Amino acid sequence: MGVTVLQQYPVPENKTGTYVVELLTKRILALGATQQGQFLVDCESYLSHPLMGTTKTVHILHNSEQPASVFSILESGTKNIHVIADGLFDLLMMKLSQHYTSKKQTKIESKGPRFELGDFCVKLGSVTMNQNFKGILIEVEYRPCVMANAVWGLLREFLQGLLGPTVPVQPPQHLISRMNEIYTPIDTIYQYLEHFSAYRKTTGMRTT
Amino acid sequence: MANSVNISIEAPIENQIQEITYDGQEIYQAPLSMSENLARLAQKIDFSKTEDEFCNIKKEGESSSDTKSDEDNKDQSYQSSLWPWDSVRNKLRSALTEVSVLADVLNIAKEKRYMVLDPVQPEKVESRPMVQVYGRKKALSAAAAVLQAGMERLRASETMRMARNMPDFHIDLLRLRQNWRLKKVSNTIIGDLSYRTAGSKFSQTGVFEVTKAPEEQIAQAMSMNTGGPPPSALRVTVPPELQGVAFISVLCQKEQEEVVTATLSASALSCTAGEGELHWQQRLEAAQNVLFCKELFARLAAEAVQLDASIPHMVVGNQIMATVLPGIQLLIGLCHNNGQTNANANVEGVKTEGSSSSGKSDHDHVLEHSLHQLLRAVHHANTHHPFPHPATGPLGPSKRRCLAGPMAADRYELLDMSKEQSLLEQIIQQAQHFFMRRRSEYVLDTIAKEVKDPLIVSHWNALNSPTQSCVKINIMAHGYDAVCRTSLVVHVGEKTLKCICRDGKVRHLSYELQELRDLIYCQIYQHQMTAVQAVGRCMGWQLLASSAHLGSGPVEPLGNASSCLLASPNGDRMIAIRCEPSVGIQVFIAQSPRKDFFSSELVQDKKWENLGGAFKEIKLDKMEGKNFLNKMELLMACLSSPS
Repeated sequence: MGVTVLQQYPVPENKTGTYVVELLTKRILALGATQQGQFLVDCESYLSHPLMGTTKTVHILHNSEQPASVFSILESGTKNIHVIADGLFDLLMMKLSQHYTSKKQTKIESKGPRFELGDFCVKLGSVTMNQNFKGILIEVEYRPCVMANAVWGLLREFLQGLLGPTVPVQPPQHLISRMNEIYTPIDTIYQYLEHFSAYRKTTGMRTT
Repeated sequence: MANSVNISIEAPIENQIQEITYDGQEIYQAPLSMSENLARLAQKIDFSKTEDEFCNIKKEGESSSDTKSDEDNKDQSYQSSLWPWDSVRNKLRSALTEVSVLADVLNIAKEKRYMVLDPVQPEKVESRPMVQVYGRKKALSAAAAVLQAGMERLRASETMRMARNMPDFHIDLLRLRQNWRLKKVSNTIIGDLSYRTAGSKFSQTGVFEVTKAPEEQIAQAMSMNTGGPPPSALRVTVPPELQGVAFISVLCQKEQEEVVTATLSASALSCTAGEGELHWQQRLEAAQNVLFCKELFARLAAEAVQLDASIPHMVVGNQIMATVLPGIQLLIGLCHNNGQTNANANVEGVKTEGSSSSGKSDHDHVLEHSLHQLLRAVHHANTHHPFPHPATGPLGPSKRRCLAGPMAADRYELLDMSKEQSLLEQIIQQAQHFFMRRRSEYVLDTIAKEVKDPLIVSHWNALNSPTQSCVKINIMAHGYDAVCRTSLVVHVGEKTLKCICRDGKVRHLSYELQELRDLIYCQIYQHQMTAVQAVGRCMGWQLLASSAHLGSGPVEPLGNASSCLLASPNGDRMIAIRCEPSVGIQVFIAQSPRKDFFSSELVQDKKWENLGGAFKEIKLDKMEGKNFLNKMELLMACLSSPS
């Protein structure tokens, strides 16, 4: 487990998502990467029942990189509380369906090919919400390091090289305050949640 | 709320329709007022009913039944139309009359002057005590007869037993029950000797039957042995496949030897004495052991077939063959002698008579014991799940796997967890380690025997695991161990050796032991060089130069030549030492200036003699001294003297 940076790639006008994924695949294969299967990150949100007081949102996320885990993030006003549990948590949420109702139409996922290039692991995900294509998310992981501060320069350079100079590469919002802490899998999940929330808010394709 | 819509809410029409006019207009009855409604409801009360029924007043339907009831009590309603509460008043009045009459009666009865209340005797049931007594007596006597008959039988058998001094079946059964699982199935007693309850998942059952031994046999047995323990009145019948003696034979052998010559100690197999004479406890234990061995072998055989090793394991009949190290094979066999015929379908190559004299078998008791231990560990793990396990969670996964979800383990870690070492792999590893240890022991011992000059002392750690052990090697010279000693540690693993040298360098060696041999030889010569320098320091000699890897001279087959140059305290003598692992140690001395100087045409002044002269080799083997360092010390002492 290393440091992961999630980057949104704007889909140019008059181009489809598959075109962009193919383009990036060609680029990364040219760098000498090998494809290592597929990946999938999905997110489903549940709303608490209004009778329980203020409405809270629970996001349930799965990451194929951690196949045995279920990540849940509870949004309660100012603070986000996360719980990492094993697969039985999904069944628990089904039992709680009286209190937490699932917003089925906002189920969102990012899936696509997964590449390995030396110490880097690159995932090209096309984001779909209800089978509607929303955009492209690129995940780059540098596996030997766990401190974001130490590896950010390397990751930025790699991303710039891969994505081209037109895409601005900024450190993810979630990581800025945690640059000097040990990176854990939940940080990846927070980044995905950030992007997914942005995708849900925009209608159609996200460009920025 | 600009364009809000007004919604009018009205009660559904509950009023009765009085009349429908010809143009379809409905004329409703006026709704009842509160008092009218109360009166209507009060009329419906049936005062003559008891309280229970009172509660559920029949609710009359509004439509059809109402019109019907209207017709029924037309005259009533006609009368009551004068005053709607009339019927209610009448009923209440009659009730009041009844209550006041009751109060009067009670008052009169309380006075006891005019009226006395007598309790009424209930009608007696006719009872016939004698019939009951007879009935009970009969039942009791029948029960007593059964008990007495049983007691008589017991007493008879007991007296007979006492008279003949026979063992007691029930005491034996009690003892058996204390140690084995028994249950009664209709008329027979069935026991179970399998390891199911201990966590075994082997499919073969271990059912045995307990019967009473016939008395003639007991008597016969008693007459046979007078001194030994009394024969048991119990007889256990074990299924034929579990009879006899079994053990797992483990042998390691070189591949060159013929496989067929694997000999098993025939004495172990033929140790079964007459089956009938064995005590039931020993018989059951033996049967249990047979079952255990069968389970172990079945498991190993299944694993051997499943595992895909580079050199495939072979399962032939009752034998598993696995290659441990190149040229060395591990043979695991199941030897089962079921006591009936000695020559039936046992391990191939078991020569019960012929080969017993050909020498001891190489049966490895340690590995056999570890095999037993490994299977017991599997049984234990089957029944002992790691705590805490949630009531709703699945049973079985290891503690690490339970935590994998919450700790967000990635797929590589999960894959790592799913790998489980099979028993066969573990036993092969243990065998490999056993060979590695024995070989390195042999190498160290032979080197210690070959090399006398620096002493080589190896300490084996007493505490080790079945697959790892550790040896510490000290190289030192006798009498000079305080001056210099070289120590290194060798970790003996399964297929590799790890040597940690004095300078902190770690070297990984393969199972080829020539590598270890070479390494130790290099260490010995390195030790000699450092020791000479240390001795020189003690003697006040000065180290001019030293090199561990000398570039000059012929190429060494192992390591490099090393050398050092020492100067005497007053600087007029020098010792050069060159050490080549293939040749040995050479010592040269030089002196400058020479005591006698003759000027020649080339060298005219004495000062040139200070440049140092030619080195002359010393014949070390002719020198006095116990060892190399002792010789060097003597040499230095000799050269230090001012003469």
